[in-house]
Amino acid sequence: MTLVDKEPNAAIEDIQKRFEKAGYICDLHIATSIYLSQKLDKPILVEGPPGVGKTELAKATAELMNADLIRLQCYEGLDESKALYEWKYGKQLLYTQILKEKLGDLLEDAQGLDASMEKLHQFGDHFFSEQFLEARPLLQALQSEKQTVLLIDEIDKSDHEFEAYLLEILSDYQITVPEIGTIKAKTKPIVFLTSNNSREMGDALKRRCLHLYIPFPDSDQERKIIEARVPEVSENLRKQLVSFVQQLRTQDLKKLPAVSETIDWARTLLLLHADSLDTAMVRNTLNMLLKFEDDIDNIDIEIPKMVAEAKKATR
Amino acid sequence: MNRPLAEFVNMLRYADVPVSIGEALDAARTIELLGYSDRTLLKSALSQVMAKTTDEMVSFDQCFDDFFTIDTKLELGENLSEQLADEGESAAGENSDEEIQDQLSALELPDSDPSGSGDGGGGGGEGSATSPGEASAAPEGSLLEMLEQADRTGLTMSMNTAAEAVGLSNIVLSTQRGLFTRRILEEMGLVEVNQEISDRRRDDDEIGAEDLSRRLNVLFEATRDMVERQLALTSAGKSNHFRQDVLKKIRLSNIENRDFKIMREMVRKMAKRLTDMNSRVKKVKNRGHLDIRKTMRRNVAYDGLLFETHWKQKEKDRPKVLAICDVSGSVASVARFLLLFLYSMNEVLPNVRSFAFSGTLGEITDLFDRYGPEEAIPEAIEIYGGRSTNYGRAMEDFKDLVFDEIDNRTTVIFLGDGRSNGADPRADILRDIKKRAKRVIWLNPERKSVWGTGDSEMPKIAPNCTVVEVCNSLSKLELVIRDLLKTS
Repeated sequence: MTLVDKEPNAAIEDIQKRFEKAGYICDLHIATSIYLSQKLDKPILVEGPPGVGKTELAKATAELMNADLIRLQCYEGLDESKALYEWKYGKQLLYTQILKEKLGDLLEDAQGLDASMEKLHQFGDHFFSEQFLEARPLLQALQSEKQTVLLIDEIDKSDHEFEAYLLEILSDYQITVPEIGTIKAKTKPIVFLTSNNSREMGDALKRRCLHLYIPFPDSDQERKIIEARVPEVSENLRKQLVSFVQQLRTQDLKKLPAVSETIDWARTLLLLHADSLDTAMVRNTLNMLLKFEDDIDNIDIEIPKMVAEAKKATR
Repeated sequence: MNRPLAEFVNMLRYADVPVSIGEALDAARTIELLGYSDRTLLKSALSQVMAKTTDEMVSFDQCFDDFFTIDTKLELGENLSEQLADEGESAAGENSDEEIQDQLSALELPDSDPSGSGDGGGGGGEGSATSPGEASAAPEGSLLEMLEQADRTGLTMSMNTAAEAVGLSNIVLSTQRGLFTRRILEEMGLVEVNQEISDRRRDDDEIGAEDLSRRLNVLFEATRDMVERQLALTSAGKSNHFRQDVLKKIRLSNIENRDFKIMREMVRKMAKRLTDMNSRVKKVKNRGHLDIRKTMRRNVAYDGLLFETHWKQKEKDRPKVLAICDVSGSVASVARFLLLFLYSMNEVLPNVRSFAFSGTLGEITDLFDRYGPEEAIPEAIEIYGGRSTNYGRAMEDFKDLVFDEIDNRTTVIFLGDGRSNGADPRADILRDIKKRAKRVIWLNPERKSVWGTGDSEMPKIAPNCTVVEVCNSLSKLELVIRDLLKTS
């Protein structure tokens, strides 16, 4: 599956169109990023406010490329045994048991300790071998024969050490397991890292990635997104609700409504069989958009004005 | 990597976008892929390769626009770029070349009808008319010939070569403009042309001399513009660096109000750098919960006997800091910066409590938490400043407030000149504090030679501190604090 076998400009526009078909509306900036990551073999570090479709981008890419999505959700305390690999202890223990039982038979004809040791060394060392390796997401992505999209979600929630584990996989698409050696990727995965910027990422990590910042969409784009995601909403309502949300984002709020919240709100309004906004309905459904009681209280007084403004948008 | 890109990378680095070599190589590959034709696309692509934070994005956008100034006369330059096609692969070079060429086209203006060129050239025209083919084939023909023929391509190339030869990209200060313009012209062969002009004057060929000097003027203007552009590219970033370098070393009391903003940014960066370094130091301690998973894993080789243990607990090593700042009249000039530094420490270290005093002492941690530095610092000076210093009183207040909280992990920092207006500095309290705390650091903005003169109580104070340091510039402050974090 190739996205990038054309001239750059055509390829980038093509990517944008195909994303649109898959229901993910993006601008040229995002499409350029996908193109570059393919051409330069680089992971993409996606930043931006929550709910602008960072994770969605990875999902859409996976769908587009017809690739498997392997997702690793980061959190504080995530370590290599959960992200990279783990040994199958139980089986390893059983293996030593079996070995012990069979040892007598195997060493039957050996005379003396030295000969026995020699014999012992002749057996393959299976104790630390790939058979006993339990692949975690990162290793799975490398081992897969098929093209995969590896999504490392909310990397900013992980610890510094984990960031360091990632460096090898990000720059060379390989993992080193001390007991076995280096495992290289069979097919290079397409890697996305997302971050909400709750902490600054290390320079080493940033250097290895393309940096893509996704801001809140402008009204045109948000309308398109709503159209793609909730096509049942009438054009009239779509314009109004997008205008309303865009106005909300200019207000001083604790948490600004994200695109995902706009979509939820559109669905809510659809359920209520609304065809245009009115103040009462907005008041009743505002909790779909705003997630803090303070925000809802503060904005309450502004609602009639904003609804009126939103209605202008349709004219 | 081609020269324009290298220059662009340089410019970015000066504008606080740290582009690594790897990133520069990626940028080169990106340009190879996309070409220079679509500026918006290129900008969007390069910004992803080179700028890695939102702050850097802003700087990058600015630099990109400055560097690849979009030429409004591009259509005019179309036919010219054909001529240039063989010489300039890079659009950046091409772009500025076209601008220059547009400018140089003024050379031709008075010769608008082709027949007129012979007349205008006069006596001098004849000399050059002998070698038109030569000149166009070999653009390195003399400056005189190129001027006479209005050979824009040749002039532009010669100008660029000359600019490179005299190291134009090193220009930093606006006062160097004249110098560089002159050097470039000389490199191109100014002397010869001047000689020719005066020769013609001597030979009473007024028209020929006039014409040549007019053409020279056009060239001069074009050169100056080129220098100007280069200055705009390099100086913005460089002079900023220069300024920051100076500010770092200057005495705190000499820093003027208008630099406060820059200082604030610098102090913030410094404090962040220091704590970044520090917060990564973590100790794995051999106590706490047994990490069964890791222990099993390590001991599988011993037939499952738990032979080597592994523990879960890690300890983040962060110092607890109590900082006390003198804001009285005697240190008024530096108090702002000391407070600024306290403020920044508050921002980046989790366990800093700040206090300010002149007469009485009070905690300002809350104030710092609530407001930005522009409000919090004057506010702190307003509340606690203005009265005459009394170190004894301050010590007592400090003891009452937080003495119980001082433990062997606490670092106590005093920022003050130790001038107590004759009042007893209560060095005994300081001694008690030193006994309890991990260490007591006294930072004095005064020079060591005046310690102990007048009402300075430093001789009494010094023995009761772990470290006593002069601290009157930003670099000094950084050294002291780095030491503090390293050894904690």
